[in-house]
Amino acid sequence: MLQYFTRSLLGLIVVLFVVSIITFALMHQVPGGPFASEKKLPQTVLNNLNAKYKLDDPVWKQYIDYMADLVIPRITTGEWKYSVTNDYLFNIKLPVGDNTTLRWMNFGPSYTDRTRSVNGIFKAHLPVSFQLGLAAMFVATVIGIPLGTVAALRKNTIFDYFSMSVAILGVSVPAIVLGPLLQYVVAVELKWLPTTGWGTFEQLIMPAFALGFAQSALIARLTRASLLQVLNEDYIRTAQAKGLRNHQVIVVHAMKNAMIPVVTVMGPLFAALLTGTFVIEKVFGLPGLGHYFVVSINQRDYATIMGTTLLFAFFIVIANFIVDLTYVWLDPRIRFD
Amino acid sequence: MSSIDASTERVGEALPEPIRLAQETERSRGPWLDAWRRLIRNRAAIVGMVVIAAFILIAIFAPQLTNYTYAEQNYLAINTAPKWVIDLFPKMKEVGQEMGYVRVNNDYRFGTDALGRDLFTRIIYGARISLAVAFIGPLTSLLVGTIYGMVSGYVGGRTDNIMMRIVDIMYAFPTLLLIILMMAFFRASFSQSEYGTLAYQLNKIDAAFGGMLFIFIGIGITSWMDTARLARGQVLSLREKEFIEAAHSIGVSDRGIIFRHVLPNIMGPVIVRESLAIPRYISLEAFLSFIGLGVNPPTPSWGSMISEGAQAIKSYPNQAIFPALALFLIMFAFNFLGDGLRDALDPRATKV
Amino acid sequence: MRNLKRTSQLFFALALLLSMVAGLGTVSAQDLKVLRVGMGAAGTTVVWDVALATDTTSHTFIEMMFPGLAPRDETTGLPQHGMAEEWEISEDGRVYTFKIKEGVPWVVYDPATDSVVEVTDEAGNVRYVTAHDFVYGALRTMDPETASNYGYLPADWVEGGNAFNEGTGAREDVKIRAVDDYTLEITSPEPAGFLLQVYGLWVFAAQPQWTIEEHGDNWTLPENYHVYGTFVLKSYEPGSRVEIIKNPFWPGTESHPIPKLDVIEAVFLDASAALAAYEAGELDTIEEVPLPDLPRLQVERPDELYIGSRDCTYYYGFNVQKPPVDNVHMRRALSAAIDRQTLVEQVLGRGELPAGFFSRPNFAASATQEEYPDLGAHSDPELARQELELYFEETGNTLETMPQLTLMYNTSEAHAIIAQAVQQMWKENLGIEVQVANQEWQTYLDLLTEDAPQIWRLGWCADYPDPHNFLGDVFYSTSGNNHTNWANDEFDSLIDEAKVMTDFEARKPLYARAEHILTWEDAAIAPIYFYTKLSMIGTHLDASPSIIGIERYDKWDILG
Repeated sequence: MLQYFTRSLLGLIVVLFVVSIITFALMHQVPGGPFASEKKLPQTVLNNLNAKYKLDDPVWKQYIDYMADLVIPRITTGEWKYSVTNDYLFNIKLPVGDNTTLRWMNFGPSYTDRTRSVNGIFKAHLPVSFQLGLAAMFVATVIGIPLGTVAALRKNTIFDYFSMSVAILGVSVPAIVLGPLLQYVVAVELKWLPTTGWGTFEQLIMPAFALGFAQSALIARLTRASLLQVLNEDYIRTAQAKGLRNHQVIVVHAMKNAMIPVVTVMGPLFAALLTGTFVIEKVFGLPGLGHYFVVSINQRDYATIMGTTLLFAFFIVIANFIVDLTYVWLDPRIRFD
Repeated sequence: MSSIDASTERVGEALPEPIRLAQETERSRGPWLDAWRRLIRNRAAIVGMVVIAAFILIAIFAPQLTNYTYAEQNYLAINTAPKWVIDLFPKMKEVGQEMGYVRVNNDYRFGTDALGRDLFTRIIYGARISLAVAFIGPLTSLLVGTIYGMVSGYVGGRTDNIMMRIVDIMYAFPTLLLIILMMAFFRASFSQSEYGTLAYQLNKIDAAFGGMLFIFIGIGITSWMDTARLARGQVLSLREKEFIEAAHSIGVSDRGIIFRHVLPNIMGPVIVRESLAIPRYISLEAFLSFIGLGVNPPTPSWGSMISEGAQAIKSYPNQAIFPALALFLIMFAFNFLGDGLRDALDPRATKV
Repeated sequence: MRNLKRTSQLFFALALLLSMVAGLGTVSAQDLKVLRVGMGAAGTTVVWDVALATDTTSHTFIEMMFPGLAPRDETTGLPQHGMAEEWEISEDGRVYTFKIKEGVPWVVYDPATDSVVEVTDEAGNVRYVTAHDFVYGALRTMDPETASNYGYLPADWVEGGNAFNEGTGAREDVKIRAVDDYTLEITSPEPAGFLLQVYGLWVFAAQPQWTIEEHGDNWTLPENYHVYGTFVLKSYEPGSRVEIIKNPFWPGTESHPIPKLDVIEAVFLDASAALAAYEAGELDTIEEVPLPDLPRLQVERPDELYIGSRDCTYYYGFNVQKPPVDNVHMRRALSAAIDRQTLVEQVLGRGELPAGFFSRPNFAASATQEEYPDLGAHSDPELARQELELYFEETGNTLETMPQLTLMYNTSEAHAIIAQAVQQMWKENLGIEVQVANQEWQTYLDLLTEDAPQIWRLGWCADYPDPHNFLGDVFYSTSGNNHTNWANDEFDSLIDEAKVMTDFEARKPLYARAEHILTWEDAAIAPIYFYTKLSMIGTHLDASPSIIGIERYDKWDILG
């Protein structure tokens, strides 16, 4: 088990490292820069900006500087002054000396959002994406699992077709249409919920539904497929033969095993929901991280691109790792070796 | 996006046994023929196939189905709708009624857009882009992924290890980043090509696809990882099988084994996976249009029509709903066909 | 299944809890006058730092919180008395002396008492706005360390500023100084007719040195954000909403009267979402209206729809080095073949004005086509065909043999619509099939600088309300914004001559001539239209909509 953890951790570091190199090289390769604008900035101003953000250095040196700021922890003593170039994600007070603090992970300043650091952007917007993602997953599960179960139990009947149609309806209606339609009907016409905004439970409902409904098809389809498979296993037949009533068989025996693939999808799904909320954020005016990810790429805000990419990569890897752990929990036959 | 691939693929990994067994036990009866029989027994899949076939026909015969071209603008007929459309949407009110604002024009079957272009014409031409997207991306991914996975699995050892690590890294990459950067790169490098060069020719071909051809080849190239893992897993389990060993012992070459024996055996699961991925490519096109990276106008695509129309959804719902309906139908069809294929190629599940 | 149920319950409880925590802090106040505004685009973040702000949304707040010396009236564009009670201009037109209003305290929002309090120094005395704060503000904006995008603006118009901004000159040599606590003196490197407008801009506003030095980049947090204008920052959620409250200590000036509103709540939404919120009654006014909803709103809410003008021009530029647009007749043909009237009326329909000149007509020194009807570009298919014939005669080309034309624009719905309409007009009026292509914004900007396409689009908005900001700052032969590769000596000398004149009427004929060279004689660009601004303003509001692109909500009121 310990060995497994060590190996996973090493793998994580290698993946993040390679992702950082590729992203850095790629974003500097494409045309444009963070300070290009419709009104061309005078050369003097550009020089000042490039000097401030060290964009004059060769790309390899910029990369090394960036990684050094990010990876190498710093210990500071005495007075510490915050600035967007000097903002660390972890600030741990050490029990020695005068205000000695261990600081780690400086993602640098945003180049276009001039008064914020990338850490500041994370702190402000990641919680929004997180809550939205959780709520959407909840919706996807609540819609998806019952639909999938019904479809599997009544395979190739009208119930099956109907359940799967409902699920597929979710993926088939683009969020760009579903979002504004919901907004118009539920909020503007019926006035049941607020149209836009973030902060209250009412404001969470529509975006979570729009986002979660689209993902419910995935869950429904997986539930159906794996339940069908499990129902076909010998031990279920044995249980049925022993006279257990049908729904007991399903609930007690089949569901637990059928959930394995469904659970495996949750982690990656959540990671995808964190990054893939751009459309919904736009439609409902939510301050999630998706917007800043897309905008940073469009604006060539190098530090924010790097920061968000590494963060998302981290989530994806961690999500897969957790999935592996869940496998063991749900199916004791699987072991780490 | 890539993470969703990861999930579907992992499931595939969890389920290879029955699929494989099925194929082997039923080999004698011709597995493909059996699969086909199972497929055509599935009513939903049949409906899906019929819908797809219908759209393919529409895409091919688009010019014969309409009197307009997709780029033709009529400034006198901007944002008009025929009577039946206005009656269909309770919020739309025709000029002349109280609070009426929609101009009636029965010359256009679904109405016109913000430039006075025929919506119907744009939808049927848009089928070309959406269908192209539906096939080009998965085909690229299928090609790259299958070869990569087979090589990795067949060679094994260290090479296999390194190749799979690369797959892990590709997974962790936010697809959106790759797409946007690739987009900028392709468009910048191709658009400045000199007349007569290869790049110029490629650009011409790309232009015929509304500037989306390379993007989808690119997306295919960046989303082959699931297919690769799946193919590798299949190869690994097949490698130990008697019939492969037998082929080896009678002196069939490695390449021969891969193509003649391994490839046909893994095609089933791989095709299922790719067909289930098709709707994702279609909605990706819509998403790209939404963030302003879609087709070059005036080329119509459903994605670009929907994202344009969504802006007008409060006043002219027809401009978004009709292309969305087309998108919805094709997504539905591909989803049902994909499910049907999976059931057909996974016969154990069918016996329940 | 039981497991699952428990898990989902957990999810639900967690989501509920999180959202409740996030929901705390929303205050409802019944008896206060609260204006709810929909602004910007979803995800807009406000740059509160006066020296660093570059976008309209940030400037909207900064204009209220840091009134300038002589701010423009937002309805006329003319300078008014702001923090400068009066000013004197030296004989040679280079030295401006401003008398700063006395008794204006720096203030900050105090969360403990939920009210606005005066800022005090170490000794406990109230800090009042002085000339020194103005000097500090301008110098900080110019400072190369600050690396402000707008650093060039004060640097260009204060003697010694450019050297300081480049890092070659000393801070002390910049000729802006406080003669005494309430007298500010600025020396320009050269006289110009529009200096008062420039000095009235936010880049010359006072900035609070003590809090900036104490808190560094954190000075823009509400608790450190010292301001002196009509409103004070209370809370800010990046990308989502802003709440500002009335400054009770503000004495009022001509430009910034004492506000009647108590609270302004701004939310950042895309136009479509904003309209939904507005129609649901959640907002009092929105700054943008989606184009497709215009006909419906004109019918359903005619009293709320407001169409005003904006200081921006939309134009197509030609790269005069690339055939066939290296030929002036081809350029004229293309320009004259654009039916600007149809474009603005039928395609855009937001009340835009067709543009035959490049600079906006509503500045004091602007030449207009009403006054000079024979000059500038005109939409005339007949004329266009004549020019095309001249092109064919001169070059020996025909429709078939002439080089392929490409019109390029940056990826956007609005630009696409215009490009396609113009493409159609060129086809109908000239028979020329022009390709349209789009590029992602950054690539596009790179292209314009390095190797501009044959025909490209851009818009230009005023930094300061003077035609020089259009003609001089964009198309002067050495301007970095001139992507046409076009240069004309007569044009340059007209610009030089008009720039230093202080009589607005006398400058007009010079600009008229310059416009004619730019838009017709040489036809380096084809101006298309002058922008408008669409907004919805509730009928319960007493509003003064702006023509300068920045709304002054602090002057608004809620009736009844």
